[in-house]
Amino acid sequence: MAPNAPIAPGQRQAGYEGLPRARSASAWVSVGGALVVWAALLGPVITLIAHLSWGTFWSSLSAPGALDPLVTSVESGLVTLLVLVACGTPLGYLMARGALPFPRVWETGVLCSLLLPPLVIGLLLVFMVGPYTWIGSLLNWFHQTATNTFLALVIAEVYESAPYYVLGAQAAFAGVEPRLEQQAALLGDPPRRVFRRVTLPLAAPGLAMSLAVAWARAMGAFGAVVIIAYHPAGIPLQIFTTLQETGLPSALPFALVLLVVALPLPLFAYIWSARAGRRRRG
Amino acid sequence: MLDADVEVDRRSFAVRARLSVGPGERVALFGPSGAGKTTVLEALAGLVPIRRGSVSLGSRCLDGVPPWRRRIGLLRQDPGLFPHLSVRDNLLYGASSDASLGPIAAELGIDGLLGAMPARLSGGQAHRVALGRLLLAHCDALLLDEPYSGLDAGLRRTLTALVVSLVVERSVPAVLVAHELADAQAFADRLLVLDGGSVLQSGSPSSVVLRPASRRVASLVGYLGFVATDSGVAGVHPERVVPGAHASRGLVLSGVVSALRPAGAGWEADLRVGDLRVGDLRVGDLRVGDLRVGDALVTCRLPERPPGTEIEVTVLDPPYFGPDGAAVFSDFSDFSERRRLDR
Repeated sequence: MAPNAPIAPGQRQAGYEGLPRARSASAWVSVGGALVVWAALLGPVITLIAHLSWGTFWSSLSAPGALDPLVTSVESGLVTLLVLVACGTPLGYLMARGALPFPRVWETGVLCSLLLPPLVIGLLLVFMVGPYTWIGSLLNWFHQTATNTFLALVIAEVYESAPYYVLGAQAAFAGVEPRLEQQAALLGDPPRRVFRRVTLPLAAPGLAMSLAVAWARAMGAFGAVVIIAYHPAGIPLQIFTTLQETGLPSALPFALVLLVVALPLPLFAYIWSARAGRRRRG
Repeated sequence: MLDADVEVDRRSFAVRARLSVGPGERVALFGPSGAGKTTVLEALAGLVPIRRGSVSLGSRCLDGVPPWRRRIGLLRQDPGLFPHLSVRDNLLYGASSDASLGPIAAELGIDGLLGAMPARLSGGQAHRVALGRLLLAHCDALLLDEPYSGLDAGLRRTLTALVVSLVVERSVPAVLVAHELADAQAFADRLLVLDGGSVLQSGSPSSVVLRPASRRVASLVGYLGFVATDSGVAGVHPERVVPGAHASRGLVLSGVVSALRPAGAGWEADLRVGDLRVGDLRVGDLRVGDLRVGDALVTCRLPERPPGTEIEVTVLDPPYFGPDGAAVFSDFSDFSERRRLDR
């Protein structure tokens, strides 16, 4: 066909036919790339299920006291979340609103605990809250000790997961437009009610995601735990000791249990955040 | 009655304003960006601390009263609807009961949107909801901070008319901040010109526009050209110029068109007025005197394209300013009286 020939109804010009094809090809490449990344990330889980012998699974978990580490992990994880919500939420809010003096100093403090390897945190915690420190003496006065106890486990988990929650909470609160809070105040709400009716609901999806990440960190805490809280053992430590004592196949069932127990909360938080976003978009 | 005499510290200067707005009265704070208009509104609402002065609303002194106890509504350019609440919940946010929800929603034309989320609303609908929310919260005063910037002209007119009717009907004092003179004129029955943190002039919109108190006010309200004459500097507003020599109606200028461009339904011309041109100023039939006109560039709007490059135009009843920039005389009778005494 000549370049300037008229185009009949229903006929498409050659130049336009190539464009959708190119778009389609790039879309398939994108999907393919995403699939490869997703499969690579999921690889360990697939491997876990593939290598798990169900006979070993039942025998490992049905042994007397086999599920005690699971109970310990869940209990310490829940207490850790309570501590984070109670202490980390106000800190994240104040940091987001720039209400603290020398804000960069506060941020650096939170970042430091994020950047320190968990093992190092464990070592430092021994020097900070161990029985021969003034904090240890103070705890001893209340008949408590912060090494090899449930309290020690919670402290280690808090230190490992707190930066993730505080920084996430800071980002979530920073995303709430201060003018909306002003508007709520002008409509008659004192600050606490503004926080409850406006700030918290708007930051809630971000807070939920941060809490989910913190929960995952707490459930999987190992580096600090192995130093300061060897007893009572949570699931990560149980996996480690089983691996050392009876070998890899015996440790895999506990890995699956850890995954099954830790996954629902982040998954729920993700689905809830997505639904909250969809509801706001109407 | 909203009474305020406030002084607020800003980074570069202090903002001082005194205003008194009666029930149902509409006042506009007009000025350039950064003049301190929003600061005044925020001081009235209690959102910024005032260094000196006081604010009272009716019989209530608002000094030290936090924003949530002031019962002053503020509507900004961003309607500030809560994105997690439906239109209905937004409307009822500050309301003590939902008894008035139906009538007000119907009056604002948003009764069909009560179940929608704010993200689904158009700009005009969102502003109507924000306005309804203030009305349902029973605010005793209404502050509007350039609320309709960014909306198209038709919608601005509709919403301004709606707010005006509601303010009058409910007898609440209302203060609008505007940097577009047309918005301020359409809304207010009194205009305060604010610049550099100070009120330069206060009066009815027409008196401020036609008799600006100073050359600075004149330039803020749209006088684009200033022509030096024997009697001072005459302000030339592009929309106060008519083609032809009509000596009885104002200052006649002759000049050369240096630029011409279409403007609205007519034309806008830049007119170079030469140093040796002579104008003729009259009051009614009385010829007041000849005026030497200095070299100047004035902009004027003309209904038709001028036939040639050299044209004569009449600046209707221009304001005059002295060397210090202050208005020389407030009106022509004052001026003619002074000339008579001089003789």
